[in-house]
Amino acid sequence: MSKQQVVTIKGTKDGLILRLDDQCAYSDLLEELGKKAQDPGLEGAVEVQIHTGSRYCSDQAAKEIIQIVQSAGHLRVSKIQSDVITMEECNRRVQEQQSETYIGIVRSGQEVHAKGDLVVIGDVNPNGHVSAAGSIYILGRLKGKAHAGNAGNREAVIAASWLEATHLMIADQMETMTDELAILSEHPEMECAYLHTNGFIAIDRLQDLRLLRPGLSTFKGGS
Amino acid sequence: MGEAIVITSGKGGVGKTTSSANLGTALALQGKKVCLVDTDIGLRNLDVILGLENRIIYDLVDVIEGRCRIQQALVKDKRFEDRLFLLPAAQTTDKNAVTPEQMKDLITELKRDYDYILIDCPAGIEQGYKNAVADRAIVVTTPEISAVRDADRIIGLLEAEDIEPPKLIINRIRRNLINSGDTLDVNDITSHLSIDLLGIVLDDENVISSSNKGEPVVMDPNNPAALGYRNIARRILGESVPLMSVDTGKPGFFGKLKSLFSK
Ligand SMILES: Nc1ncnc2c1ncn2[C@@H]1O[C@H](COP(=O)(O)OP(=O)(O)O)[C@@H](O)[C@H]1O
Ligand SMILES: [Mg+2]
Repeated sequence: MSKQQVVTIKGTKDGLILRLDDQCAYSDLLEELGKKAQDPGLEGAVEVQIHTGSRYCSDQAAKEIIQIVQSAGHLRVSKIQSDVITMEECNRRVQEQQSETYIGIVRSGQEVHAKGDLVVIGDVNPNGHVSAAGSIYILGRLKGKAHAGNAGNREAVIAASWLEATHLMIADQMETMTDELAILSEHPEMECAYLHTNGFIAIDRLQDLRLLRPGLSTFKGGS
Repeated sequence: MGEAIVITSGKGGVGKTTSSANLGTALALQGKKVCLVDTDIGLRNLDVILGLENRIIYDLVDVIEGRCRIQQALVKDKRFEDRLFLLPAAQTTDKNAVTPEQMKDLITELKRDYDYILIDCPAGIEQGYKNAVADRAIVVTTPEISAVRDADRIIGLLEAEDIEPPKLIINRIRRNLINSGDTLDVNDITSHLSIDLLGIVLDDENVISSSNKGEPVVMDPNNPAALGYRNIARRILGESVPLMSVDTGKPGFFGKLKSLFSK
């Protein structure tokens, strides 16, 4: 064979993978994909993954590729994967990984938002509001509202030196600190709130976080 | 060049006007030249507390709109020779009669002639511009949860402005309630608000009767609320005065007050 295959099909234990050449012209790629998708030899294979290698795959291109692959009716694309992302996407991901630090008092009527984790050094007063896509850690008193995992992350937690919030939210679950919960946390010192497997927000000792959410640790390396 | 201090609060009726009148008077008693500016447009009462009501000819808006010169509008408190003046609030109902720039120019002009300009504000959060014209701010609260919450809100707004961090006055402290634990105590409030305490003022019925007489209570050296205001004035002047005790449990509270004054 003189010409490099533009679309190669590989069977793996995770299912079929269509590997798309990342050097050829995009139009050639679509054309070849169309042919391969119609190939009667593929009959019966249901789910495929598509790997685009070092070719950046915009939302528009992804739609086009999926449409062509699925047009024959016997293939379904479960996922498209590319080795490259835009700077914008990269920055967003970095931000989500980062933690932002706010030093000060979050007072009544004020709001502090973070795209990743949020560290507050100071108090969050009643009717003050902190929220983060990641977890919230407060070195001080949390007496207002806190919303962790505000983009849906159910693993996010809210930890505070003094956890006396009026409202706690994790992902889409909200808890107002009713009398019952207040009793639960009669000693509001050094506690953390997390989403229990029963779907409700639970409060435990800060020290238990290592067992409840070991995945939150980002510390790498020696002991 | 004088210093402009805005006296503000979140909740109304906590004692801004009373504090302005008494601190202005106390600073004048200490020999400073003071101008009180009443910006509570439509609801003036600083003049009444000072007993100057029937001497008003022009007001703040008259000055701003060029109907008179500042000097013509200022009302002199004759008890203090040339040391205490009032610029009365207008009685109009148009709260927006004065723009931030106009206010700034006015205060800058007053700062040339006075050591202290105390600006008595309306309550609430919608008059931020009057804060920015000052060099520093005093937030007044009472020891009630609702007043402290609203103080927190206004402190947040003040901290976002280009002035020194605000300081706190806790007014109307009732000793019997503190001793019985039925009210927030001074420590509760200052640790909640995390700002410096400028001083405390006891609740005292003479505050009301002396206001009605047009003679600020601070002029009576034996009154316990007056002591609070005198101490605050001394702290404004930079003296370090220990916080007075609110505890009545100890005998000789008034004796201690007297000894402080006879020093
Ligand atoms: N320390 C005090 N003890 C007793 N009454 C007080 C005291 N301070 C203020 N008052 C009373 O409370 C009321 C409201 O005070 P005012 O100074 O007009 O508040 P604001 O200007 O904040 O609306 C007035 O009747 C005043 O006499
Ligand atoms: Mg007033």
